[in-house]
Amino acid sequence: MNRLVVLATVLAATGAVAQEREAPPPPGTPHEFRLPAKETLQLDNGLSATFIEYGSVPKLTLLAVVRTGNIDEGEDTWLPDVTVEMMKEGTTTRSAFDIAKEAAGMGGALGLNVNAEQTTAGLSVLSDHAVGAVRLLADVLQNPRFPESELPRVVANFERSLAVARADPLALADEALAKLVYGDHPFGRMLPREGQVAAYDIAKLRDYYDRNFGARRTHVYVAGRYDREALEAALRGAFGGWREGPPATNLPAKPAEALQLALVDSPGAPQSSVRMAVPVPDPSHALYFQATLMNSLLGGTFGSRITSNIREDKGYSYSPDSSINARRGGALWVMSAEVTAEHTAAAITEIYKEIERLQREVPADAELTPVKNYRAGVFVISNSSPNGVLGQLAFMDLHGLPDDYLTNWVANVRAVTPAQVSEMARQFIRPERMTVVVAGDLATIGESVRTLPQFKGIAAKTP
Amino acid sequence: MTRTIRRCIGLFACAALMACTAQPPAEVPTTAETVATPAALPNAIDIPVEYYKLDNGLKVVLSRDTTAPTVTVGVYYHIGFRIEPRGRTGFAHLFEHLMFQGSGNLGKMEFIRLVEGNGGVLNGSTRFDYTNYYQIVPAHVLETVLWAEADRMKALAITQANLENQQGVVKNEVRDNVMNQPYGGFPWLTMPQVANTNWFNAHNFYGDLADLDAATLEDAKSFFETYYAPNNAVVVVAGDFDPAAARAAIAKHFAAIPARAQPARPDLAEPAQQSEKRDSYVDRLAPRPALALAWQAPPRNTPEHFAFSLLDTILLQGQDSRLWQKLVQERGYSDAVGGGTNLLGNEFTYDGPMLWMLYLVHDPEATPEAIIADVDTEIARLQAEPPTAEELIRALTKLRASLYDLAGSSTRFGLVDLLACFALFDDDPARINRLEADFRAVSPQLIRDVARTYLTPARRTVQIVEPGRAGAPAEAPGGSP
Repeated sequence: MNRLVVLATVLAATGAVAQEREAPPPPGTPHEFRLPAKETLQLDNGLSATFIEYGSVPKLTLLAVVRTGNIDEGEDTWLPDVTVEMMKEGTTTRSAFDIAKEAAGMGGALGLNVNAEQTTAGLSVLSDHAVGAVRLLADVLQNPRFPESELPRVVANFERSLAVARADPLALADEALAKLVYGDHPFGRMLPREGQVAAYDIAKLRDYYDRNFGARRTHVYVAGRYDREALEAALRGAFGGWREGPPATNLPAKPAEALQLALVDSPGAPQSSVRMAVPVPDPSHALYFQATLMNSLLGGTFGSRITSNIREDKGYSYSPDSSINARRGGALWVMSAEVTAEHTAAAITEIYKEIERLQREVPADAELTPVKNYRAGVFVISNSSPNGVLGQLAFMDLHGLPDDYLTNWVANVRAVTPAQVSEMARQFIRPERMTVVVAGDLATIGESVRTLPQFKGIAAKTP
Repeated sequence: MTRTIRRCIGLFACAALMACTAQPPAEVPTTAETVATPAALPNAIDIPVEYYKLDNGLKVVLSRDTTAPTVTVGVYYHIGFRIEPRGRTGFAHLFEHLMFQGSGNLGKMEFIRLVEGNGGVLNGSTRFDYTNYYQIVPAHVLETVLWAEADRMKALAITQANLENQQGVVKNEVRDNVMNQPYGGFPWLTMPQVANTNWFNAHNFYGDLADLDAATLEDAKSFFETYYAPNNAVVVVAGDFDPAAARAAIAKHFAAIPARAQPARPDLAEPAQQSEKRDSYVDRLAPRPALALAWQAPPRNTPEHFAFSLLDTILLQGQDSRLWQKLVQERGYSDAVGGGTNLLGNEFTYDGPMLWMLYLVHDPEATPEAIIADVDTEIARLQAEPPTAEELIRALTKLRASLYDLAGSSTRFGLVDLLACFALFDDDPARINRLEADFRAVSPQLIRDVARTYLTPARRTVQIVEPGRAGAPAEAPGGSP
């Protein structure tokens, strides 16, 4: 059993205040933060289980993570989503209503979710119901009935969701970005074609399920308060008989690295959706920490440079934000902002200015240290509840990160230098490799975007 | 892939708050998604609550829990969007933004940098009857944050340029959340304007863009002086702190702020509705119709109010609820039916009349009449027969779990929200520990009776969203990928 101990040494950062003003009282001595102990075991069929005893209230959360998702759909966009939604429609012994009632009776609700590379089944219940929750989760994962009678309704729901997404300028911008960056990889197809989902029949769903679900791809995380022995016995009993199934797919994405511009028309839109993306190291890479610090300082926090500029100085946007989308092998830095239509080109220009300034000038320690404090503080908040720890562990397993990823996290953040942050911007946030998407009222904003100097010599695409 | 209708009104988009962490964040304080209804079986929880007032009238609630070395500070002012002055729609929310634009000892952006730079996250939001500001910070930063909150309670320093900048930001917030997305503002913002008759309950809470533009520095000064007084506020501190040190720091930084006479609160009374109301509007971006129904909920804190909360759980909350089973599972009208009492919080986090709503996006083949008939069938069933013992136990179990979630959350945001509202509106934050008993005192017959009294067609408002893209095929502009 690893006892992971981290001291969150958060240093004082009082900001620059004028002399005549009263200075804030300095922070006191940091309290120790202890990551909870975890224990992992593997069943004979390859299923992994991790136990984390944590928390102050008699609840526990079960999270089964199956290593399958949209990466396994091939050209059948949303096939995993439809399949997993249909798993809620009943097992060989339980109806959909039985599942919902049983989960609610334990104080929880079953949540099934499909992501790019992970499918999760989660249930948070009162501790008294730990064993029942394990059994319910195991039944839903192992014994789906896929009732023919429910498929038309489920398909109609997906078609309605698709119609809503197609009407949403933000979703269209995201879709265009995914397509340009990831091309023919499944990550490049965010939304299905019209009529595509309606063609998926039960045989196709079952085939997807058979090809992608099984013990070897599954890791069950348990966090909260529970009786360890009873829970382990329940897990072994409920999951021990599951077939091994196939190993996880390895299909790393290769994001585009050439300058691209796409314009998506949204006639009459009062705002434009701006997306700017460029490949960055993924979490398994040594430079990842440096890249995330660079992101926090550039656009990833409320106090960041881009937010200060286009929101707090110019008022162009309410919620600009940059983040690192940690796709395995093909991580992306993505800047997203919804900006007032008439300021579209101006906002993009300011974002480029901030990128270039960070590339050109090494930031002061006085600017970077508070960013490190922020990241260390959010790390503690993120790991201060059973659900937060589960999310971290599932993320680490996806990216094959060792235990010391967490134990060294704060130290690694602290070790990043201002020069490295500037170097990350120079090395990775390169305008000549960037994919830019603007969705808005092209009749009024199209020309001003097309003629920006950064897009000289390339033709705008209409995805 | 299913899409929830976004609801946010605040300083910064809810979901983006911690988006800069590359890891999946633990529990992002999604302010609009607080637990639906907290309740408990006997002895379920015992949350420590220390409550007192400073001489200037400032209410203080302390709730210690040392599970994690963090502390959450919430400062709540008893001024929300529905009680903002006439002719100044949206001002309460605009003003919330101004609270980050500078105070006596902190310039623009310095409050934000002080909190983030010391390892904390922060946000503010505006609701019906309060405006809140909160920070979740490492435990040792508590006094720094209390000092900063006191600094902006003492004096604001807003310039014309900062006012104009935030007018621009807020107008973009309205475009983000209302104008540039399908079903924007539906139904949390649109329904009260139709269902209510009292201006305070029925105006545009986000603000008409013209009113937002008309706001002046003088308005801001007067609003601040009127409502942002210590005797109109509560400070809640929850988490890992030393009680004596926390009390001393609160006294040191807040006690000298003078109390100010408060104007009488406006009369929020909403006359009992006598006949059904109908409304419809066209949403430029909506590809499918949507339907919302609203009824006037019973007055807060009455036995009927607690009974109605259980009714809400049985009828509408969760996939095991009666309306979910009927509308989603059986009829297939939609992938989800949403709703509840107070869509921007829960049934305790307001102080005045409130609507109970349900809403769904559906296909054109399903008529509003057919959907309403099914809702009526389920309501009639509850009006005829009290819920079964099994249903009632399930409802109480769900409520108990959500109360544990309040207590066990790493942000403690839901806990702070409830303690603050119970202090501001009821002068009694310790009542959080009596909720279990209040809910358990509800009889199945009372749930049936409130269904009979409150969920009648005459008390109902129907709102229909007509798709601006009616008949438009679900295809991408420019073709398929």
